[in-house]
Amino acid sequence: MDDFQSKAKRFSGGRKAFFQEWMILFLFIALVAVCAATNSTFRTTNNIMNILRQASFIAIIAMGEFFAILTGQMDMSVTATVGMVSIFFAGFAVKMGIPIGVAGLLVVLMATVVGFINGLLTVYGKIPSFIATLVVMNITRGLNYIYSGGLPISGLPNGFNFMGAGYVGFVPFPVILMFIVALILYVITTQTSLGRSFYAIGGNVEASKLSGINVQLVGVLAFVFSSVLTSIGALGLTSKTLSGNVTLGDDLLFDVMTIVVLGGTSLTGGRGRIFGVVIAALFLQVISNMMVLLEINTYWQWVVKGLILLTVVLVDSNAKRD
Amino acid sequence: MCGKAVEPLVELKSCTMEFPGVKALSDVSFTLLPGECHGLVGENGAGKSTLSKCITGENRMTKGELYICGRQIRASSYSIRESQALGISIVHQEFQLMEDMTGVENIFVGHYLTHGGFIDWKRLNKKAAELMEFLQCEVNLSVPVKHLRTAEKQIIQLAKAVLSDSRVLILDELTSVLQEKDIENIFRIIGLLKRRGMGIVYISHRLDEIIRCCDTYTVLCDGRYVNSGSVADINKQQLIRMIIGRELTQVYPPINTEIGDTLLEVRGLTSKRAFRDIGLQVRRGEVIGLAGLLGAGKTELVHAIFGDHKVTRGQIFVNGREVRVNSPRQAIRLGIGLVPDERRTLGLNMALDVKDNTTLPSMRRFRKWGIFQNHKAELGAAYEQNKQLGLNYHSLWQNVKKLSGGNQQKIVIAKWMLRDCDIFLLDEPTRGIDIGAKFEIYTLINEFTKRGKAVILVSPELEELMGLCNKIYVMFEGGIMDVVEGERKTQEVMINSLLGVNENG
Repeated sequence: MDDFQSKAKRFSGGRKAFFQEWMILFLFIALVAVCAATNSTFRTTNNIMNILRQASFIAIIAMGEFFAILTGQMDMSVTATVGMVSIFFAGFAVKMGIPIGVAGLLVVLMATVVGFINGLLTVYGKIPSFIATLVVMNITRGLNYIYSGGLPISGLPNGFNFMGAGYVGFVPFPVILMFIVALILYVITTQTSLGRSFYAIGGNVEASKLSGINVQLVGVLAFVFSSVLTSIGALGLTSKTLSGNVTLGDDLLFDVMTIVVLGGTSLTGGRGRIFGVVIAALFLQVISNMMVLLEINTYWQWVVKGLILLTVVLVDSNAKRD
Repeated sequence: MCGKAVEPLVELKSCTMEFPGVKALSDVSFTLLPGECHGLVGENGAGKSTLSKCITGENRMTKGELYICGRQIRASSYSIRESQALGISIVHQEFQLMEDMTGVENIFVGHYLTHGGFIDWKRLNKKAAELMEFLQCEVNLSVPVKHLRTAEKQIIQLAKAVLSDSRVLILDELTSVLQEKDIENIFRIIGLLKRRGMGIVYISHRLDEIIRCCDTYTVLCDGRYVNSGSVADINKQQLIRMIIGRELTQVYPPINTEIGDTLLEVRGLTSKRAFRDIGLQVRRGEVIGLAGLLGAGKTELVHAIFGDHKVTRGQIFVNGREVRVNSPRQAIRLGIGLVPDERRTLGLNMALDVKDNTTLPSMRRFRKWGIFQNHKAELGAAYEQNKQLGLNYHSLWQNVKKLSGGNQQKIVIAKWMLRDCDIFLLDEPTRGIDIGAKFEIYTLINEFTKRGKAVILVSPELEELMGLCNKIYVMFEGGIMDVVEGERKTQEVMINSLLGVNENG
């Protein structure tokens, strides 16, 4: 092997570097193996498809949050964005009679605006993103309730149910959607200069600016990605119940954060992979599923998920990296 | 305290230190006597820091014996806590101060004197004042240290070390960010501490300092012990030969004299509070130097040319055409590249690997089908560029964090070479890097000029500027005080201008 080949080879640091980078994958395989070996209901096709289906939309939302965290920021507004998309979509389609396709586009556009505001406040307003998005979250939530009076809006057309509950052959449609989204984002993050710029500004904004990256634009775009992906996930969640609901996203934030961090994304920014996030979403869903199968009280899920996030952050904060 | 006066404070016998895969030190011995200042020299990666960390307990040596004041230390359980208890302290070049706390708080943090459970500020203030009197320094200790000058912060760090009754003080690259007269002050303090019987380990790249301030020296090269002895017996040339293991016939390559057209011109450039009415021009094949004390506006000026510092007035011309430079992106498109003074925070992206850092400004050049990155071409280009600069690394995917300072700086330069820049703004490109790497950077600057590029060089070392530049602009408090070239290019003329002394008046 000549000098160039040896220097251009990935994971030349040996097996340890490879293992570290894909730890979540190995953990996931181990988890699935243990669950499948110990529980016969777990390994049925039906149950596995169920897990995949339930994980899909939250995975899409987590992929959005991934971009915020990758650039060293945080988007707290996802919960309110989910509620906003859900209630306004139903409002547009049911109350105003707008065709669902157009209504869908409208709410995605609304989410884009929310993302822009988050981005502008953080990048140009120089407010810490934690506070900026928290403020946006509260205002958005207020507007959601003002619009709906807190009541759900039901009566969405049955055809829309396909997005959240439909099947293509034996594969649930949400799963296909999740993989398509993941694939597109994978290409963006690894194969385009925009993707590279997200990593760069997450690593060091000043150095990136001095290297000619448009740090403002990229910074704002990270929040737009977050909100737009959240809106797609929110539409899917709405489709499952065929009704718009302001509280739809209220419990999501913790799961989303856990998934992003569990997926190997650095909380300080600059490191992470899209498929890590997908696997982490499935990981979390397998745990929930297994707890249901073992008939453990659902409240225990909160305890377990809390412990998972704690473990991951502990390991990540104390790991020595090359 | 140690018994006999001749008993060494620190004695390290055939120390070997292995990191996974690397032998950082092999069979190195080191002795520090009370009341001496011992210079530890060697290139980056020679093992100076590793050696000092073995003494402080931050690293545990793999093999060897360590005696502190004649008492053998158990290597397996040695720790920083233990070394501190034994009176060993270290002062780094990087500040380890709480920026928002005052000088007094910083000096005493962790050792607050209390009275009835409350901090006894009266006594602390008095003690701090005594300390400053002993050091014969005047530093305002009642304001948050972030308002202090670099040199004053160093004094506070020193005061902290002196307070903890250290017997051994390790100064790791302390002076690399200091100006000449502040360095003098540090030397004076070292003298004071020596008289108190303290032993000082002095690590520096600046050999003149070693010769001026140290009594003894130890040279390391590639983790091996080369030589040690009394500083009085050697000169700088001999020291250099030991450090790099070869002879450096001439430190500075000959200055290029084939000058072309004007590439960059600046007229009346003014920025609030940083600099005013700056006019300068640099031609193809030319190196222009910017000299000045800290705060003279040099760094702000090069950042302004690069579009990273707000300008209130003035014009910039590139290739004779007036241009607007409001952001680094625009500057880069005009063929300007900046190597900033802060390599670790501004020059490199520490979260990224060698390849990404090298290709960051030029990644748009490696495209396939319009939007996708061509990773293969990128890897190839980064490899070729770094090979040309003789970068020492093991993988293009390796994080840049662990590379030595000289190698890191090469990457910062490599990224602008890959971007094909015509105008290089180099802000202290040799700060904190070893003499071998310095020489390579000098050669590189010379090569740029031969290829018809233009260079603006900022440096705190007058010798460096005189050795490399065709023309030197001396800045004083934001204005250009003097332009020095030809026969007037002497240290004396420049120092006068630096201090704002007009030679005619």
